[in-house]
Amino acid sequence: MLMHVIDMGHDVYKANDKVAEKNKKKLDKYQVFSVNVMGAIGSGKTTLIEEVIRQLKDKYKIAVIAGDVIAEMDSSRFRKLDVPTIPVNTGKECHLDAKLVEKALDEIDLNNTDLLLIENVGNLICPVDFKLGEHLRVVIVSVTEGDDIILKHPMIFKTSDLAVINKVDIAHAVDVDAEKMRDDILSLNPNVPVILTSKHDWESLETWISFIELGVKESQNR
Amino acid sequence: MHEFSIACEIFEQVMTTAKEHGATEVKHVTLQMGRLSHTNPEQLSFCFKVLSEESIAENADFIVEMIPPSLECECGYTGTVDEEKIRENCEFKSELLAYAAVMECPICGKPAQITGGRELIIKSIEIETEDQN
Repeated sequence: MLMHVIDMGHDVYKANDKVAEKNKKKLDKYQVFSVNVMGAIGSGKTTLIEEVIRQLKDKYKIAVIAGDVIAEMDSSRFRKLDVPTIPVNTGKECHLDAKLVEKALDEIDLNNTDLLLIENVGNLICPVDFKLGEHLRVVIVSVTEGDDIILKHPMIFKTSDLAVINKVDIAHAVDVDAEKMRDDILSLNPNVPVILTSKHDWESLETWISFIELGVKESQNR
Repeated sequence: MHEFSIACEIFEQVMTTAKEHGATEVKHVTLQMGRLSHTNPEQLSFCFKVLSEESIAENADFIVEMIPPSLECECGYTGTVDEEKIRENCEFKSELLAYAAVMECPICGKPAQITGGRELIIKSIEIETEDQN
């Protein structure tokens, strides 16, 4: 019997990052702007994505990847808005990864897509470690999650390009200070834009939608 | 729980490498894990154990070495986060938050870029082979 030490140096997350890079190159080639929408269950990811679709679908061609553990409730909501939707059921996993997105991209007509919205599986932890090939990483958090939710999950706020605090119209009812949530986000990531939204406040939704539209326009000018 | 899928990837990589080298048994698997990675070493070890049952890695020791976060600042500073400072900072209840909160440049005080500390690397395996190998 002989003993050997074999050096491997295989980085599990980098293996995912490589596929993510490939996805991004593919999306760049077709000038598709892609958004990874992350957030807890019930934070309002589906509703805010629906608003983007409603307001932008006549101007741009939109496709959606709807990630969920098992059900297809969210994808059926997007389909009702007449946009190509690929449901991705992760089975037992708590996040989308680059390989799942790579597979879903094969089912999307990228020649006819300007904006790809990817709804991640609902949680604030696992999606952080897995890049998908997206151009914009968005974290959506709602006031109903409590105003300590941000400091409990620092990494998702440190690594996102945009933070949305949703359902601010009911902040008082759930005894939460949305401004404290904004301050907490900025203490972790001083440069991240923070948007406060409510589905009942059209002005706030416009801010959210224009942020996405800006990305699409920039992508088309590249 | 994403430990299971990560353990699957680790198990697959370990077995491929072990077989390529003619292993009859895998004795040790050594991982390097960044402190900012959302992976739990105990859960990962448990998942690996379950997956490796009845394989040549069944009795392998699963060793995890933690890697401190490293930073890069626009002022030119590069370095790792001061682990002493983290331990002294008792106002933070969670280690992850303590790390996230002190990610500022120790020279100029500006928020620094995280350049390391989120890795999950299969560093090495120790295997046993027949004499002729």
